Amino acid sequence: MSNELLGKYASEVFAGLVSAVGEVEISAAPAAGFAPSEDVLVRMERELKRALEKPASERRWVMVIDLRRCIGCHACTIACVAENKLPPGVVYRPVMTEEIGTYPNVTMKFLPRPCMQCEKSPCTEVCPVNATYHNEEEIVVVDYEQCIGCRACMAACPYGARTFDFGYNYAEQLPVFDGAIIGGETAAGYEHASQEYGEAWKREGRHESPVGNVRKCHFCLHRIKDGILPACTTTCIGRATYFGDANDPESLVAELISKPNVVRLKEELGTEPRVYYIV
Amino acid sequence: MLKKLSYAVGAAALLFGLWGVYIRLFEGEQSANYGSYIGWGLWVAMYLFLAGLAAGAYMLAAFDYLFNVPAFKGTGKTMLWAALVTLPAGLASIGMDLGHMERIWKVYLQPSFTSFLAWMVWGYTIFLILIAISLYFAFTAPEKKAMKAVMWIGFITAILVAGGVGFLLGGNAARLYWHVGLLPVQFPVFAIASGAGLMLLIVGWFMPNMDEKQRGDLLWLLAIISIATSVAKLYFLVADYTQSLYGGVTDNLIAVNYVLNGPQAFTFWGVQIVLGLLIPVIVLAQPKLAKNGFVAGLMGLFLLIGYAAARLLIVVPGQVAEMMPGQAEAFVGPKLTLEYTPSLMEWSVTSAVMGFAILGILIGMDYLINRKPRSTEVKK
Repeated sequence: MSNELLGKYASEVFAGLVSAVGEVEISAAPAAGFAPSEDVLVRMERELKRALEKPASERRWVMVIDLRRCIGCHACTIACVAENKLPPGVVYRPVMTEEIGTYPNVTMKFLPRPCMQCEKSPCTEVCPVNATYHNEEEIVVVDYEQCIGCRACMAACPYGARTFDFGYNYAEQLPVFDGAIIGGETAAGYEHASQEYGEAWKREGRHESPVGNVRKCHFCLHRIKDGILPACTTTCIGRATYFGDANDPESLVAELISKPNVVRLKEELGTEPRVYYIV
Repeated sequence: MLKKLSYAVGAAALLFGLWGVYIRLFEGEQSANYGSYIGWGLWVAMYLFLAGLAAGAYMLAAFDYLFNVPAFKGTGKTMLWAALVTLPAGLASIGMDLGHMERIWKVYLQPSFTSFLAWMVWGYTIFLILIAISLYFAFTAPEKKAMKAVMWIGFITAILVAGGVGFLLGGNAARLYWHVGLLPVQFPVFAIASGAGLMLLIVGWFMPNMDEKQRGDLLWLLAIISIATSVAKLYFLVADYTQSLYGGVTDNLIAVNYVLNGPQAFTFWGVQIVLGLLIPVIVLAQPKLAKNGFVAGLMGLFLLIGYAAARLLIVVPGQVAEMMPGQAEAFVGPKLTLEYTPSLMEWSVTSAVMGFAILGILIGMDYLINRKPRSTEVKK
């Protein structure tokens, strides 16, 4: 496997990991101004804690995803599922995969898609009961006890970032027997222990919220409040996902989104997403 | 005979539907086939259909009470009753679609007025009350000014709520197939068209005792309205689809091809166009056939089936295009699909709703509208 090939087709980090000899040429670091020896996660966590010292209304949480670094491992998707105990059929951060070109000039494009946390969010406007709204930090949240399950927000979202909880469980088919390390009931208990929005959601039966509700990515608000980065960000092995306060001019995300090679999805709709892509 | 058959069909539909209603209420929505990518299916389409039917029935009642069209004389009460039955049927259909229908009260007590859906819930509630008041006046004081005033308010409300349903879909900028300015304009036309179809059925099959000449005139007038609105609808359809195909925007192409050549091709060509449009237009254009009660009623039924299919073909195709390329394959799980065919449970619930509407209209006509005076009343 030549370094040239890796440099062309693989993400820089992945290329660096698998390259046996020599060095893979890595383009400009995602952001200048921090020590190369420091993992970006360390920096972002430090910046996160700094942001939390400010009043909530002065923060502007944004996510930046470097598509050049995404290797399509889907670790972020799975981390999100595990963190939020998402049931079958509910997904907050899928990674879209697209094959580009024809052989021999063929490659894959990966597009992780969390909720865009739009500043002008069509989903919140259409909700008939204010069940989905911008919280004090301008993150779009869902009040599961308020949602009537009309799915108007799902129809309105231009990014397909909302899924409906039909009440499925991964563990519902598991057998229960003595001596099981993890039987159906134990697994169900684990599966239902979601801490979204800082509350324990038991999600029992076919009717108890969030069953019957529309669900979506919330930037792991329950982690952020404790100074922990979103699960997708910390799990990204390519360090392709960045998170922070764009109102902090010293922050990594503020640096990243000031570059010309940054785009937002479907800008023409005027939704003003808070998720940026580096291309 | 036709009435007995209709009673039987209504009762059978309701009975079959009770199974679906039970499953929906006690086991949730897993056995429905709508999902997270196609979130609105048969029940939403039937809500659009039945709510439009109610608006149309009310508009036609106005032909009697407001516009004093001679052929419509004496039919207003029946059409008001039909509106009073079909609107709750439509609301029941959309109610079953809610993940938490027990929280519907929140739309009244904790509404968000940036939401057009909230406005529609309020609008339809007001419309339902107006229908009930109109019907009350129709029984007690049809000639009073109050009746006229209520009918005018109701008539305008009917147009607004019908158009509002169009806006409910059309307002979604994310769904290009719906997001056309003409959609809210089309829906009031759809409403009056479906109202005329229902009236053809009612007058043709269930009002044989009307004055023969008036009945013939009325059926012919309804036939003309049906032909005119069918042609208007066809024009909207052709304009919409040719513009989409010519423009070539991906989402629109996917949606229109889904209708014309895709899994819903038979619903479109067979049910909506041939059964629901061509056959009724050709038959109703013949005055002799149009004035025949059985034929007119049958054509009314065909028109209604066509309109119901048309509602499904507005709701579903608007959701078949991926919001993001690769979305359908990005994550695998139940209900994460861009394919949709209503499940048996969904059909069953719709059957219950339709059974309720059929029986409701028939029972109301027999025991409320056309109630024979008791012997003591006759003596007076």
